[in-house]
Amino acid sequence: MKVVIADGLHEADYLIRLFKTGGNDLVVINEDPDTCHYLSLNNDMPVVRGRCTRESDLREANAENCDLFLALSEDDYKNYVACKTARMLLGAKRCIATVTNPKNVHIFKELGVDIVVCSTYLIGEQIRNLTSIENMINALSIEDEQIFIVELKITSDLDVEGKTLKDIDISSIGSVSSVIHNGKTMIPNGQTTICAGDKVLIVTTVDNKDKVIDIFQRKK
Amino acid sequence: MRSNNTIIIGAGRLGGTIARSLNNLANVVIIDKNKDKFNKLQDYSGFVESGDATDLEFLEKNGIATADRVIAVTDDDNVNIFIADVCCSLYNVKDIYIKLKDSRKRSLVEERVNCICPFDLSLDSFEKQREGESK
Repeated sequence: MKVVIADGLHEADYLIRLFKTGGNDLVVINEDPDTCHYLSLNNDMPVVRGRCTRESDLREANAENCDLFLALSEDDYKNYVACKTARMLLGAKRCIATVTNPKNVHIFKELGVDIVVCSTYLIGEQIRNLTSIENMINALSIEDEQIFIVELKITSDLDVEGKTLKDIDISSIGSVSSVIHNGKTMIPNGQTTICAGDKVLIVTTVDNKDKVIDIFQRKK
Repeated sequence: MRSNNTIIIGAGRLGGTIARSLNNLANVVIIDKNKDKFNKLQDYSGFVESGDATDLEFLEKNGIATADRVIAVTDDDNVNIFIADVCCSLYNVKDIYIKLKDSRKRSLVEERVNCICPFDLSLDSFEKQREGESK
């Protein structure tokens, strides 16, 4: 795979090592002479000094027709234009831009960048996922915390969605005592299908609580 | 209210001069990150807004959705290209002008975007003057 790494310091250093070990054809271009020297020395490979938003510099670096173009500068708009240049003028098959402003993730994607990476955005998503799991699970412990009743919300991305209770089979670690479907509570049997939007009430033990939650929260 | 809503992004010499020239012909708002630039805008009575023109929420507050014309003349070619793309693809602005210090980047924007390239204009001016001298 031909990979072009444009700008960036530590990110570039890390990715150069990653792609080098995979036996890829690697082109590294950087505007800063000190960074060129550092990356070249550290990775024992040539690093071309040039602007990643300039078509002629990219051509001189032999960055045409790459499979993957990575723009890693600290300037979001430089990365946007670098990806655009690589895609429109140099035939890059796939472009990745890093951004510092999380608002740019969706905008850049809408404007044609294949993948947009933002550390702040990823942290936000992680926190949102954690919060949504907390919101999805209500647990009640009774009998000196030996029995757990767990309420779980089912979403379309979960593995259990669309399956019958017979298919899911948690009989050895707990039992689904009721399913709330379209606001109506029903006592399920093996043929009951779990749908997105349902809430399921599961009775289990302290020891098996995590296993049950894991089965019902596993993604497809 | 006058028609022809115009947003000028970048209140440097070029942006400021364009703002003054359009002042009586259109509803003009001029945007810049740096408030101090507005102090240099003489003989201009239109709107000024300080803020980041790459932030779409800010642009929407300043009427990008109903703008007839956007003129992006910041000092950063990459920002100007990004704004042109936003205007073309997300808001369908009719008239778009951008400044490009590097005229080779012209090929990155849609054909309907009008590019103002100081280098090309200077070269044209030189060629014309040279032709005039040789006659």
